[in-house]
Amino acid sequence: MAHEILAATNAVVTLDVALPGIVWPWLVTVNMWAKSIGTGVILMLFMLIRMHPDSVKNLRLPTAVVAFIFINIFLLFTLADLHQPFRMWHIFVYSSFSSAIAWGSLMATVFLGLLVILAFLAYKKNNETFDKVLVWTTILAIPVTLYTAALMAQCTARELWQMPTEAAQMILAATLSGSAAMILLGGSKLSDEAKNTLGVVLGLSALMAFIIYMSEYIFGPMKAEEVAAVLDYIKGDGPYAVMFWLGQWIAYLLPMLLILLSRASKSESILKLAAILALVGLAIVKHVWLMIPQLLPMS
Amino acid sequence: MQLGFLVDLHLCMGCKGCEIACKVENEVPLSTWRLRVKYVDVGTFPETKRTFTPLRCNHCENAPCERICPVSALHYLENGIVNIDKERCIGCAGCVMACPYGAIYIDPQTQTADKCTYCAHRVASSMMPACVVACPVQANIFGDLEDPTSNISKYIQVNQSNIQVRKPEKGTNPHHFYVNGGNVALNPLASHRIEGHSLFNKITTLPVGGHH
Ligand code: SF4
Ligand code: SF4
Repeated sequence: MAHEILAATNAVVTLDVALPGIVWPWLVTVNMWAKSIGTGVILMLFMLIRMHPDSVKNLRLPTAVVAFIFINIFLLFTLADLHQPFRMWHIFVYSSFSSAIAWGSLMATVFLGLLVILAFLAYKKNNETFDKVLVWTTILAIPVTLYTAALMAQCTARELWQMPTEAAQMILAATLSGSAAMILLGGSKLSDEAKNTLGVVLGLSALMAFIIYMSEYIFGPMKAEEVAAVLDYIKGDGPYAVMFWLGQWIAYLLPMLLILLSRASKSESILKLAAILALVGLAIVKHVWLMIPQLLPMS
Repeated sequence: MQLGFLVDLHLCMGCKGCEIACKVENEVPLSTWRLRVKYVDVGTFPETKRTFTPLRCNHCENAPCERICPVSALHYLENGIVNIDKERCIGCAGCVMACPYGAIYIDPQTQTADKCTYCAHRVASSMMPACVVACPVQANIFGDLEDPTSNISKYIQVNQSNIQVRKPEKGTNPHHFYVNGGNVALNPLASHRIEGHSLFNKITTLPVGGHH
């Protein structure tokens, strides 16, 4: 409605205060990216233990350590993004449970604790207890990875971020980056079947995520003019158009093609290249989606 | 009690008295504003008209900023004001991301969130908000929405067919109303915002909180 009257009114803002710049900067991109890897590798380890137990005999400790490192990166960048980082403890003392931030912080802290236990158990080679604790860690990995979607959905100002799509994208980001990280971590230690399974997970995650982004790209503007205005930033010569397509190609399209190629040629190097591209591309995709709603003036 | 605001845009002449009064009363730092008056020019020369719209926090009944705040730094007072406890705020900027009206900012001096509080400290001493006192044409009307005899309630009754809120589709239920406001005045998508062009300066964006 507002857009249609513009030509008639020729309304121009002639005096206003400067608008706020980017509120959540690249630090939040790293936060989401690292969390996807940290939770994703746990989801993949759980799957591999069930499907290809022989392949993952030596992967328990490295996976727990990688998850621990990436969850710490996630927490570190969350902290760095706070304007009052030394008050972080307020979240635990004055928690408001209507906020996804409070839930996320609490769950991520418990998740980190479970990762420490997993690493210790793996170090002690206590596989039986490890696998039991892994079940709970895997269950918790799901809400930990989802909470950012809830947080984005709570940003009432940003119409683009809707819970159903963001939740799906968060889970797919975890399976995409988790499978990619496991391919790189497992390397030649993985059996051909395990590599195949991870390749399928990576390829399907890329396909699903790409379909969702394209659906939003094409159909989003048909539902809300605010969404249309935001998506203009990735269309035509919009400021994030090049980055958007670069991300889609690197994170999704190229890895899908490379996985098909690696299955045909049984090449581990091509599979690894797909994994590296998926990890790099995911950061670009997440960054674009985080930035574009912040470019729209709110008032 | 449910305190609310109403601005009669037909009366507002864009003098920015309210903006300055707010700055002084609340010691709002440079580069940030709790209340501002936006000018939008409509039409093509010589058939042009200028609209003035004071914009402040709407003290929403269903406030996204309050909901997203992880530490309840943003909270409701009994009189309906959405208030902020700057000592508790951790500066996560969730509220800045959630408010559909761009009404919250990160104070560059304290690095905590801040916004219009309807001058809660003055209201507690039975005084009117500073912007109401400063307005030379009484375009700002403040009072208890639950009291049918208050000025604001009467104004709403008389102008009931001509009352607007900003972005009603967001479901925030603002306690801040406009009379004689059109799409151009209230909807940011209904006007062009040409990069680098405004009456007095060429600054279009400022970093949130002074850094990042
Ligand atoms: S206008 Fe924005 S800052 Fe004010 S109560 Fe509503 S959501 Fe919160
Ligand atoms: S910046 Fe402060 S007031 Fe805003 S949501 Fe975060 S803790 Fe709450």
